[in-house]
Amino acid sequence: MFQEESSSVTSSPLQVFSMMSLSPNLGSPYPWLRELKSEERGLYLIHLLLTCANHVATGSLENANIALEQISQLASPDGDTMQRMAAYFTEALADRILKAWPGLHKALNSTRISLVSEEILVRKLFFEMFPFLKVAFVLTNQAIIEAMEGEKMVHIIDLNAAEPAQWIALIQALSARPEGPPHLRITGINQQKEVLDQLAHRLTEEAEKLDIPFQFNPIVSKLENLDIEKLRVKTGEALAISSVLQLHTLLAADDELLRKKSPLASKNLNGIQLQRALQMNQSTLGELLEKDMVNGYSPSPDSTSSSPLSSSASAKVDSFLNALWGLSPKLMVVTEQDSNHNGSTLMERLLESLYSYAALFDCLESTVSRASLERLKVEKMLFGEEIKNIIACEGAERKERHEKLDKWIQRLDLASFGNVPLSYYGMLQARRLLQGYNCDGYKMKEENGCIVICWQDRPLFSVSAWRCRK
Amino acid sequence: MPVDLDNSSTASGEASVSSSGNQNPPPKSTAKKKRNLPGMPDPDAEVIALSPKTLLATNRFVCEICNKGFQRDQNLQLHRRGHNLPWKLRQRSSKEVKKRVYVCPEPSCVHHDPSRALGDLTGIKKHFCRKHGEKKWKCDKCSKKYAVQSDWKAHSKICGTREYKCDCGTLFSRRDSFITHRAFCDALAEESARAQTQPSSQNQNQAAANPSSESDPKTQAMESSSPPAPPPAPASVSAPPPAAVQVSASTTSVISSSVLPMQSGELQENPTPILEEDPPPPPPPAPAGLNGSCSSSNSSSSNGSSSSTVFASLFASSTASASLQPPQPPAFTDVIRAMGRPERPADLAPSTSTEPISLCLSTNHGSSIFGTAGQERRQYAPAPQPAMSATALLQKAAQMGAAASNASLLRGFGIVSSSSSSAQQDNLPWGQRQVEPDNASVPAGLGLGLPIDGSSGLKELMMGTPVFGPKQTTLDFLGLGMAAGGSPNGGLSALITSIGGGLDVAAAAASFGGGDYTGKDIGRNS
Repeated sequence: MFQEESSSVTSSPLQVFSMMSLSPNLGSPYPWLRELKSEERGLYLIHLLLTCANHVATGSLENANIALEQISQLASPDGDTMQRMAAYFTEALADRILKAWPGLHKALNSTRISLVSEEILVRKLFFEMFPFLKVAFVLTNQAIIEAMEGEKMVHIIDLNAAEPAQWIALIQALSARPEGPPHLRITGINQQKEVLDQLAHRLTEEAEKLDIPFQFNPIVSKLENLDIEKLRVKTGEALAISSVLQLHTLLAADDELLRKKSPLASKNLNGIQLQRALQMNQSTLGELLEKDMVNGYSPSPDSTSSSPLSSSASAKVDSFLNALWGLSPKLMVVTEQDSNHNGSTLMERLLESLYSYAALFDCLESTVSRASLERLKVEKMLFGEEIKNIIACEGAERKERHEKLDKWIQRLDLASFGNVPLSYYGMLQARRLLQGYNCDGYKMKEENGCIVICWQDRPLFSVSAWRCRK
Repeated sequence: MPVDLDNSSTASGEASVSSSGNQNPPPKSTAKKKRNLPGMPDPDAEVIALSPKTLLATNRFVCEICNKGFQRDQNLQLHRRGHNLPWKLRQRSSKEVKKRVYVCPEPSCVHHDPSRALGDLTGIKKHFCRKHGEKKWKCDKCSKKYAVQSDWKAHSKICGTREYKCDCGTLFSRRDSFITHRAFCDALAEESARAQTQPSSQNQNQAAANPSSESDPKTQAMESSSPPAPPPAPASVSAPPPAAVQVSASTTSVISSSVLPMQSGELQENPTPILEEDPPPPPPPAPAGLNGSCSSSNSSSSNGSSSSTVFASLFASSTASASLQPPQPPAFTDVIRAMGRPERPADLAPSTSTEPISLCLSTNHGSSIFGTAGQERRQYAPAPQPAMSATALLQKAAQMGAAASNASLLRGFGIVSSSSSSAQQDNLPWGQRQVEPDNASVPAGLGLGLPIDGSSGLKELMMGTPVFGPKQTTLDFLGLGMAAGGSPNGGLSALITSIGGGLDVAAAAASFGGGDYTGKDIGRNS
């Protein structure tokens, strides 16, 4: 065993620890864990997370359980960044394990109350605490203004109309343009009627104040069930589409079906793992684990290239994009997360999301106090939920399928959209906005005419503009 | 008021006559004209309903001979003399002219009803222009527009002439709004005394331009905000608009309704109180700049102010905490402003457009959340962070994992995600900082790998973990020498591989054959 050299801090607890005979049921079996310094604790947490994920992926629930137990001693939603992250990641892993018992999972989640007001609040907090949405709005609005120069009738479709700030800013900008404001129509799509009602009220109020002919059309619908006819795009009006963090939800597809159909799935199943899984007494568990292992072991097609598997999985998004293209928009601005959280194996997704969410949690750590309730809400209700979705869900349930910018560029290009570089002026404004945040962790870089917003070096969000290419 | 149908019929009858536009005005009577009470027209007055065209016609007096139009009756009479009319026709009709009242031709107007008729033709003309007409006359000093020329003249006489200036620097042209403001100003002054120093000079001019809008809404808003906004705030720019937001938090609806019509002055004041609430140190000039810009833009256009106010209320409602020292992004405001109002380049830093205020407010607001944290941030920004950021931790773990791995792994060493090449460049140095080659100690790794085995017991797992240690030599367990190369996640993958390697070993029992780790792991984990 290699225990020489260890730093003085850890040596004693570790030595003590190694001599302990531990059973999983001890109340507080790891006293030494508490004495770890924050950095070591963080590293240890990472190690444990990876271990646990590995166990989950391979179906060794006992070990996963042990790892979860250990992590729970260290992780905490109000500790330091790594502790918080670990808390949410382990919750996601536990959720994933629990899905193997669907009845249990459903029963535990049956009494959950999700308040619309809380969701709205969390979205607002995300808008305010981070510059990402603001930068996206600034860039989107600037692109729209420039594209709509000289247009008298402007119709904007917002694929997730929730935040009035963006459109209020646009209304103000349009009212100030030299040739006078255009006749403006905004169609907002959202799953919650209350959000749309509030938005309608705010925007109509604003437009009346500025004396702009304005109309707001709400559409209460899920994006994947959107009826294009309902958008009522009229001829003669200039159409702009704004998609902020929406398109990736359309990538959710029934992976299982696809994978089973694919010949690749069966080939690379690790025989040992499969055997071990089948040895499990619970047949249902075994099947589920096999499924899990299918997820875990089929060779994930290189996430950066499109494979036949992914193309059929993205049929939904392709048909959606085609429908949008059919409306002949003058401009479409797409804001998406710029991380690859759509790998087909759990480990892939876990690794990637560890990095991405580490960056996001670091953002909060650097800008908000640890005691802030808002921070906790954002971490738990927004990031925690996203992490849970990425880690614990599969198939059509897994909606948070973030992908890298180059894949989106490919996809949009395939759907006959041509990239429009974002204007210099827009970028300048966005840059100044970021600088104004007075936190030098936020960075912005340009990539192929698109903007990528990063935290330190980790790209997090991308904004790109597109036109209809005939 | 009983103007009965008779009159109406008269009116209609008259209407047809009068629409021709030719009407003899009542003779100038030497006796004092009897004035009816306002709102109560003479019940037996003749109700005249003129068409809009007639009403606005400038040449009401038309010569019946040659149809030439005149603005004044005297001029018409003078002109008629020139026609050499026979004496009979020269005389005016001596019939006593009935008292006439006029109704507004606009059907939706309250004065359209004969019972609300106005007694004076000039009066009805002015009313019609003011209420139903286009505002063609604009004051050149301020932005007020008027439909009636006399109103415009009257306004421009006093525009900018009399100004009441409060100690806080706000200017008012009306005495009543000045007095109301001053009443609250004192209270605010105390707050501002506590507040940090205000640098903004830029705001001064803007603040100066603060027109006093409805004092009531202001009062309302003031009252609703828990601490009254210190007037110096707007001038001093200390309070970023979000502050206002904060204050309004408690009374969002009130504020939004009351603040909306208000000019920027109010907005600025609102924020200030919030700012004042905070004990934290003075905000950096940045916020001041932002504030200034916000206020400037606000004052410069009513639109802006109302929008900011709107946002203020919007943000106010959403936030719970009133902490603020947002390190304001003045630049953002500028930018956004510039975006919205390119025609006002003058306001440089303070920027011009108001529209972004919403966004800037949000920014501020956001940063306001940082306010409390901001201090912390400021506190430890200069000092080394007490806790390593999660990103740094991951990088370190990756490095440790890759430490003992071979060169191929290191090449793929992406401390950051796979596809961000630029990020990778930055991280390569990490990877290249190769660890001592003697770390390729498989047994150490196996020490860890072993316990992670489905079939083995708890103890092995436990024993594996103590190997954990910051030193690289100890951490060999993380890098099992045979780390899967080419994994895009570099070190972390190696880390996982090492862990995964243990799993594989399980089946083969605890053998210390590091080389046994084959592509199985690689295939599985990469």
